[in-house]
Amino acid sequence: MTSMISPLDRRRHLTGMAFITPTMLVIIAILVYPILQSIVLSFGQSSIDGSEPYQFVGLKHYAALAGNDRFWNALWVTLLFTGLSIPLELAMGIGLAVLMNEHFRFKGIARLAVLFPWALPTALNTLMWRWMYNTDYGLFNAAALQSGLVDRPINWLGDETLAMMSMVIVAVWKTSSFMALIILAGLQSIPRELYEAGRMDGMTRWQEFREITLPLLKGPILVALIVRSMDALRTFELPFNLTDGGPVTATESLSLYAYKVIFDFIEFNYGAAIVVVQFLVIFAMSLLYILTLRNKD
Amino acid sequence: MKKRPRFGLYALVILSVVISFLPIVWLVLTSLKTTEGIYAWPPQYLPDPFTLKNYINIFTNSPELLLYVLNSFIVALGCTVVALSFGGMAGYALSRLGMRRAGVLMVFILAVSMFPPVSLLPSLFQTFLKLGLLNTYAGLIIAHTGLFLPFTVWMLASYFATLPPEIEEAARMDGMGFFRIFWSIVIPLSWPGFVATGLIVFIFSWNEFPLALVLMTQNAMRTAPVGISLYPGEYAFPWETISTATVIAIVPVLIITAIFQKQIVGGLTAGTGK
Repeated sequence: MTSMISPLDRRRHLTGMAFITPTMLVIIAILVYPILQSIVLSFGQSSIDGSEPYQFVGLKHYAALAGNDRFWNALWVTLLFTGLSIPLELAMGIGLAVLMNEHFRFKGIARLAVLFPWALPTALNTLMWRWMYNTDYGLFNAAALQSGLVDRPINWLGDETLAMMSMVIVAVWKTSSFMALIILAGLQSIPRELYEAGRMDGMTRWQEFREITLPLLKGPILVALIVRSMDALRTFELPFNLTDGGPVTATESLSLYAYKVIFDFIEFNYGAAIVVVQFLVIFAMSLLYILTLRNKD
Repeated sequence: MKKRPRFGLYALVILSVVISFLPIVWLVLTSLKTTEGIYAWPPQYLPDPFTLKNYINIFTNSPELLLYVLNSFIVALGCTVVALSFGGMAGYALSRLGMRRAGVLMVFILAVSMFPPVSLLPSLFQTFLKLGLLNTYAGLIIAHTGLFLPFTVWMLASYFATLPPEIEEAARMDGMGFFRIFWSIVIPLSWPGFVATGLIVFIFSWNEFPLALVLMTQNAMRTAPVGISLYPGEYAFPWETISTATVIAIVPVLIITAIFQKQIVGGLTAGTGK
């Protein structure tokens, strides 16, 4: 074997190793090692600054989680938020993509406009919405009251159901454009001839959409769905800035609850157990994603 | 192509544009109002009187808000430079240097990129505390680089894969080493890929929240999204200041997005639309 390797291949191999080393080191230090350490921390008791030695406590924190209503609530809020926002984002994304695939004037400006919500920081987007939702001075209540639609201000973020809906709306507003971008790229790769053939057969636009467009968009839609689901499952700054998880815990996502447990309640190891559970949920999703990509090839 | 007026189409386009812009426009309008105007009833839709006082006040009364923007610049720029350098080399090794198990490594890199940032926090915070990396630019730059390197590697590897291999083969015939080929041939040929990737990484880092929140605990080191979100109000959120600071913090992203729209969209959709 070794005699088959030419000096050139050896040099190529060494260069490859040298080129990939910095990236692997950073990825291991910032992504792999912390996850492993979080798992270790979740099975023990220690202090955040390392002043107390690590003590193994087994499944104690996980057992406590199983009986913790606030944890189950956070898991439910996260799944509900994901389940409500993703279908809406998909519908809006497909709509926007089909729209942006049409020919019209000022298309560049229109495409830019729908890209902006995605490009801006979620934390600041959320502040803008919080300001519009503001009960006393917000745009929505001002318009609703002035037009006589309601006679009392609506407490957009203070009611459990409304707060969840308000949060979903911000997510849909922000990420429909991302969905649209991915789907639009798929749309543009559909050969025009297919539509010309459809028109020959006397298809209506709706039939064209159902029978030509949608089946060919399956791949990009699946990718967009999975990427967005993983994003939604780890949503953090959206509830952090919009409601701080409230009212009570109606919008407290798993990420937000884990953050509070670790940095507000300073229950370091308990918080580690929560993030490990969250990691497992998302990792299952990412496996699904990779399997999907594999099957596509 | 039929050329008939399509009012329905234009109505939908205008509606999408209005909805996309509404929060941003409302924010800008708020930042141009006086404090009385912001809290007036009946509500003021357009600033009356129009004022730039809030912007002047930021410079004189709340310079820390400008510091946040500067911090964001330093971190995002640092992260972009490091991610492009490391990711460029790794992407080249994985796509062009015939590495064994390159496919497995690519999948590994993709898998770790999906780790939720919050699950990194307990350990990262502890490690950074021990190493004295909390509240340092270097610390957050490394952390962001770690978060966005997987994306960088994937983008650049797929870009390098589109280059015709004959150029590199010819250079090797001329006796050039692999590093020279990468440095003086591959990089100059791939700059559109580097630009698109770099812009997106810059935006990602500029926008990142959980790690920036936890790894920068001192007020003077906070990035713009975190600093503005945590900006203290005396008894209520001071919306005249917040709206103004937010406008200042989003302008760089708006400009980058507007100028490089094509590159950014091309980068984001690379490989997903096929």
